Amino acid sequence: MADFYPVDALHVSGVSVGYKDKIAISDVSFEAKSGEIIGFIGADGAGKSSLMQAIAGIVRFSGEISYLQHKYHSPKEAEKIKIHTGFMPQGIGLVLYDTLTVDEHLRFFADLRDLKKDAAFLAYKKQLLHMSGLSAFAERQAMNLSGGMMQKLSLICALLHRPKLLILDEPTTGVDPLSRLELWEILRNIAKEEGTIILVSTAYMQEASKMDRVMLFHNSKVIASGTSAELIDSIRPYVYEKSLADNDENSISFDKVIYSLDSLNLSLHEPTLEGLFFVNALKERKKIANFAIKSREDDEVIPEVVMECHGVSKKFGAFVANEKIDMQLKKGEILGLLGANGAGKTTFIKMLLGLYSIDEGKLTLLGQSIKSGKDRQELKSKIGYVSQHFALYKDMSVKENLLYFASMHRIEKKTALSRIALYAKELGFEEYLGSFANELPLGVNQRFSIAAALLHEPLVLFLDEPTSGVDTLARAQFWQILQKLKEVWGISILITTHYMSEAQFCDRVVLLKNGQKVADDTVSNLYERFPKAKDFEDIFLEFYKEKA
Amino acid sequence: MKNFVRFSVIKAFVLKELTELVRTKLIIMVYMMPSMVTILFGYGIAMDVTHSRISIIDNDNSKYSSELISKFSHSKYFDVTLTHESEAQALEKIKKAQSDIILIIPSSFEKNLLKGEKSELGVFIDAAFANRASTMQNYVQGVIQSAATTSAPMMTLNTRTLFNQAMRDEDAIVPGLIGLVLLVAPAILTALLIVKEKEKGTIFNFYASPIGKLEFLIAKLLPVLLLHSVNIFILFIWATYLFDVPFRGSFFLYWLSSEIYILISLSIGMLISIIAKRQIVAVVLTVIITILPAFLYSGMLMPISSMQGASWMEAHIFPVMYYNHILYDCFLIGQGFDSSKIVLYLFILVGYVIALLGLGALFLKKEMR
Repeated sequence: MADFYPVDALHVSGVSVGYKDKIAISDVSFEAKSGEIIGFIGADGAGKSSLMQAIAGIVRFSGEISYLQHKYHSPKEAEKIKIHTGFMPQGIGLVLYDTLTVDEHLRFFADLRDLKKDAAFLAYKKQLLHMSGLSAFAERQAMNLSGGMMQKLSLICALLHRPKLLILDEPTTGVDPLSRLELWEILRNIAKEEGTIILVSTAYMQEASKMDRVMLFHNSKVIASGTSAELIDSIRPYVYEKSLADNDENSISFDKVIYSLDSLNLSLHEPTLEGLFFVNALKERKKIANFAIKSREDDEVIPEVVMECHGVSKKFGAFVANEKIDMQLKKGEILGLLGANGAGKTTFIKMLLGLYSIDEGKLTLLGQSIKSGKDRQELKSKIGYVSQHFALYKDMSVKENLLYFASMHRIEKKTALSRIALYAKELGFEEYLGSFANELPLGVNQRFSIAAALLHEPLVLFLDEPTSGVDTLARAQFWQILQKLKEVWGISILITTHYMSEAQFCDRVVLLKNGQKVADDTVSNLYERFPKAKDFEDIFLEFYKEKA
Repeated sequence: MKNFVRFSVIKAFVLKELTELVRTKLIIMVYMMPSMVTILFGYGIAMDVTHSRISIIDNDNSKYSSELISKFSHSKYFDVTLTHESEAQALEKIKKAQSDIILIIPSSFEKNLLKGEKSELGVFIDAAFANRASTMQNYVQGVIQSAATTSAPMMTLNTRTLFNQAMRDEDAIVPGLIGLVLLVAPAILTALLIVKEKEKGTIFNFYASPIGKLEFLIAKLLPVLLLHSVNIFILFIWATYLFDVPFRGSFFLYWLSSEIYILISLSIGMLISIIAKRQIVAVVLTVIITILPAFLYSGMLMPISSMQGASWMEAHIFPVMYYNHILYDCFLIGQGFDSSKIVLYLFILVGYVIALLGLGALFLKKEMR
């Protein structure tokens, strides 16, 4: 049965997409049949989007795609299948017009597809509105919708003409967990009732269980495909419980697990889908840098409580970004600030840094009460910060960039050079020192941004979504660095992320929802509070459901 | 695709564009900018100099000298002050910017003239602004020469006034401004409407749907054409009522050529939107590509007929010259369709529309780049 594909199937054979001299995705072949949900999983730049755009017929590609018995090799030839396809590009609310209302969007997309507005259409439209929970917001303009609502609206706009092939590029990234569940619910229904082929990409591994088949993307290649269970089974023999003994060169150890292609004298551990990326790295014989952090040069005394705030609020007009937040960051602690897009994570960090003024509340940093910009001035040398979009000067080499950052902190050139050399070695980006900033892989860029924040040997690190879009391996390495820093330097780290799975690496987590703090506890305590939760995602969901 | 161009699809797009334009308040720019530019520049660009302050030191006090002074007093170009101060004192006034020109009439002015001997007038001009100074110099010479011919008829001077007293500045500038505004404004709006979708990401709705290239182009250009057609009338009203520019030609010709000219502007905007990925780039590019030629080759600063070589060729490459020729005819001359040159120029403008729209349709691709 598996080899038989009916006429309404999608055939992709040997498809590659390249931009100028860069290969985005190379030589992918797969088939999908009616009613199937195929998931594309991988990091930013792994090639998911490019493959989707090729299938949607909006980018040039080589190879052949055939759908509904129409073969196409270019966007021009794909024109004929576009009446049957729906495409939703990556980015929240990307295809929406800010000033149009929900209803106007539906009307516009219907007209765009030249649909007859008969009773059947109106009924279907009503059904879609109901399914997405947008019925009550028909007159609201798109710019006033939440991220989750925008994505649901984009989705139903793409569904309006009942496409037979639906291509969705990261529809759930950055969306709050409840909306994510609802989006998946809609997709399930559509696949079942309309027999639609759904191609959907995601950065969240947990969503794999909701897909019929999964394709894993890494470095412009598809490294594995199959059902989620098949994939996990495929690496079962390579995953071991971590032991205290030193691991050998041919294995990767991360968190509580050791991955090794050679059989080890250890008990096996239940594998995860993420494990596939580690095993793939082993198979590719990639060397995994081992990080070693030396103790800091100066020996500043770090106070027991590094940061403390009471009732901190921030408003932008009528919009409350942060409401009366209390928080404490202790010495040598990794505190995770979790929440969906727009929950107020970035605003909070920016207030701590003084990039935004604090509307209300008290803030104490390193034992010093902060009232004005002057109070911060001398603290600046004790705080390290990595922003969401860490900006490098593209036309300067990594080393030049670092020297520039050092000079901003008035570090002597000799000291700076020795520290740069040290971090480059410790954090494993030595080979990239001479490269220009825009040639760096995203994962390396993150390590390097940490180095920039460490140059002045701060006492506390504020990291704003440093792992967003970074591949599994690089993320694992990143967390290793943070752990080492904590152990060796005794530094405190406040980190924001929208990957719930990263909560387990934090000593304590704070959950934000619509600008309010809804939880503040250790991960193990939270698991105790919600014994039914399979993973942290479930816990997070509980908090979102509470007052939804 | 059954129909080549589907009316309902275009209607949906045009409606969407108009709704967005109103709600984003961009519509204000559509109507403010052309009128603002016309009014600001119409008043602002003054080529001639009126009311220059002239201090006259009359050391002669004769019939001829007073005749000369009255010539100055009767001219709108001069405000005369008679003084009896010394030359040095008068010069001090120029230094303090209290006076622009000093005219010194020597004591033997009338006597020398009657004797037929040479008489010298002293003229000092504030040349802080070189252009203004040379204009004032010409005016002074003109007045003196005209005085010389009327007061002393036996001296037959071959005079030619260096400034055209009948020619009003507004008449020369305002029609040219219409040619400038109608080239710049529709081009910017078109470029913005398309590039905005690229920048935001909504362009995917076009890429990924079966909507045709031609449908998309019509849908994007039509709203701009409709909105800016109103400006043809608004600008006409500013020109004739606010600036009192005469209108001697055919209004139909004015309207027709303006619509064609707006189509050219749209096409330029569309071509720019194909290259530009960001709105700011689109605006800057459009401004550079349209404003400079619209100014240089409008005939406002320099008549095209006096251009030579490269500048003459360039003037003929840009559509501004052809439209402005028709405009000046409509406002000031009134030959209309009787002039074969105007009919030719009208066809040339249509040629531009066809060529530019064709290029746009050719280069617009339904794919990402």
